[in-house]
Amino acid sequence: MITFALPKGRLGEECAALLARAGVDVSALEEDTRRLVLESADKRYGFFLVKPADVPVYVEQGVADLGVAGKDTLLEEDRQLYELLDLKIGACSLCIAGYERGLNARPLVRVATKYVKTAKRVFAERGEEAEIIPLHGSIELAPVTGLSDVIFDVVQTGSTLRANGLAVLEEVFPVSARLVANKVSLKLKSQEILPLVGRLREALS
Amino acid sequence: MADIGRLPAGVQDIYGAECAHLQRLREKLTRLFETGGYSPVRAATLEYYDTYARIGNAVPQERLFKLSDTDGKLLVLRPDVTLAISRIAATKLPAGGARLYYFADKWDLREAGGIWGREVYQAGVERLGEEGAFSDAQTIAFAIECLKAVGLEHFVVDIGHVGFFKGLLQECGLNDAEAEEVRSFVNGKDSFGAERALRKAGATAAAINAVLALPTLFGGAEVLERAEEVSHTPSSRLALAHLKEIYVLLADMGYAEYLRFDLGAVKSLSYYSGVIFSGLTEKLGAPVLSGGRYDRLADDFGKNIPAVGFALGLKRILTALGRQGFLAVPQGVEITIVCERGAEGRAYREYKKLTDEGKRVCLCARYGEEGKKGAEGRVVYFAKEET
Repeated sequence: MITFALPKGRLGEECAALLARAGVDVSALEEDTRRLVLESADKRYGFFLVKPADVPVYVEQGVADLGVAGKDTLLEEDRQLYELLDLKIGACSLCIAGYERGLNARPLVRVATKYVKTAKRVFAERGEEAEIIPLHGSIELAPVTGLSDVIFDVVQTGSTLRANGLAVLEEVFPVSARLVANKVSLKLKSQEILPLVGRLREALS
Repeated sequence: MADIGRLPAGVQDIYGAECAHLQRLREKLTRLFETGGYSPVRAATLEYYDTYARIGNAVPQERLFKLSDTDGKLLVLRPDVTLAISRIAATKLPAGGARLYYFADKWDLREAGGIWGREVYQAGVERLGEEGAFSDAQTIAFAIECLKAVGLEHFVVDIGHVGFFKGLLQECGLNDAEAEEVRSFVNGKDSFGAERALRKAGATAAAINAVLALPTLFGGAEVLERAEEVSHTPSSRLALAHLKEIYVLLADMGYAEYLRFDLGAVKSLSYYSGVIFSGLTEKLGAPVLSGGRYDRLADDFGKNIPAVGFALGLKRILTALGRQGFLAVPQGVEITIVCERGAEGRAYREYKKLTDEGKRVCLCARYGEEGKKGAEGRVVYFAKEET
């Protein structure tokens, strides 16, 4: 059996549709149920539905063989995983955003973000001193209220930014959902996993 | 004060059945190491920080447990056993090589949890002063024997060669930082990231194609044939020829069924110079064994000592054996001796006799009926002699 850690919510639904196109029986995922561990009728696939940010942990620790996680989550978690495919869903960008003047703040830029580790790396690579302010949601509020100079967050359409008078100052990294594999599972279950990866690649093209 | 009696994150007291299992693993491996011609070595726990600062980035500074000596010098808790043994070989052992084994902890200052601990208990061997495919093949064969000896049934040894990747990168004209970025993408089988990094660095199309093939170059021995097509530099061809030689030797020794190859495996511990390998088993998401060749490691101590070795993660092996259902209930006490007041001497002499015979015996410290309560195994009772 191959076990998947899939993100709850809309990204998870898009994953299920993609897996179905690659010939995986995902009917278990479509049932309205509160069960957290699901199995396909033919017992070939198992599914855990977890919080998106937890997918890399389940896969790294070998509890799930495969998982689907956004590149933003993978960068932030920095786990020991194999990254097998770009599933091209959930596309957005990790951006620095704020008011135009935000990046020129001196002596140091205050950055609000939920991607604390990634933001530290990004600003260190830019050679700028930054004070990172960790937040869990509504990041856009930080520059509006003066809590931060800029934000570092995923931007999909930018409509929330515009509605608050903010703009993308710099696109740092394109983000999309990736198929990740546990490092041992890929080797020991390669006869099941590799054909599935091939079918997913076909379904994507 | 709230921490009194508690332990910090990432370390663990081991007791009861788990400790008994660990001890059995040690016994089985010790027997194998001794009969295999290896001698024991025990490295010091504390070392100077400078030793590790000199070795470049083998162990990153932030992962070292640091303490200070009375003279203010910075000390570290041994972060890596192979580095310690290389130091011993270079500074203390006579030239000409040695085959050593150890059971030792190493300390890793990291976020702990799940498969990652901060105090890592390892068993391992190092073969110092040896070169060539026959030495590598023997080491891998011995690694397989170790995994068999500890009771694992479903495992493979996944083999790669750092020279193959380094050889392919030669023509790309990358600087060290760019090469490290590409390495981490290739090691994570992230073709998308590797391609981006190679294009940014201005690598040639041929080099990009070769490097991008790496994440798919894993599987059985057929991988070595597939790798021919992309190995277009002399050093990558040399590495591939070396792996083929190792494969032929191991197949001849009867180990073909355990072997897998992964030419995209490029470990981050940068001291490896040739063949690298990992032991993988079911129901555990991380390797139970890890090793490789490190011919340049002793250079920093002013010696040239080619060497190869591997380490087994004993706690991970126990976890894997438990999940796979191979952990038997540990053997307890076979006989409990209980006596009455005045019969202590006779009871003790019986205890001594039985333990000399190799029995597992408990001599109860409580007297009479009180001693029989909760006694383990068969009870032997000594009444006070009537006079």
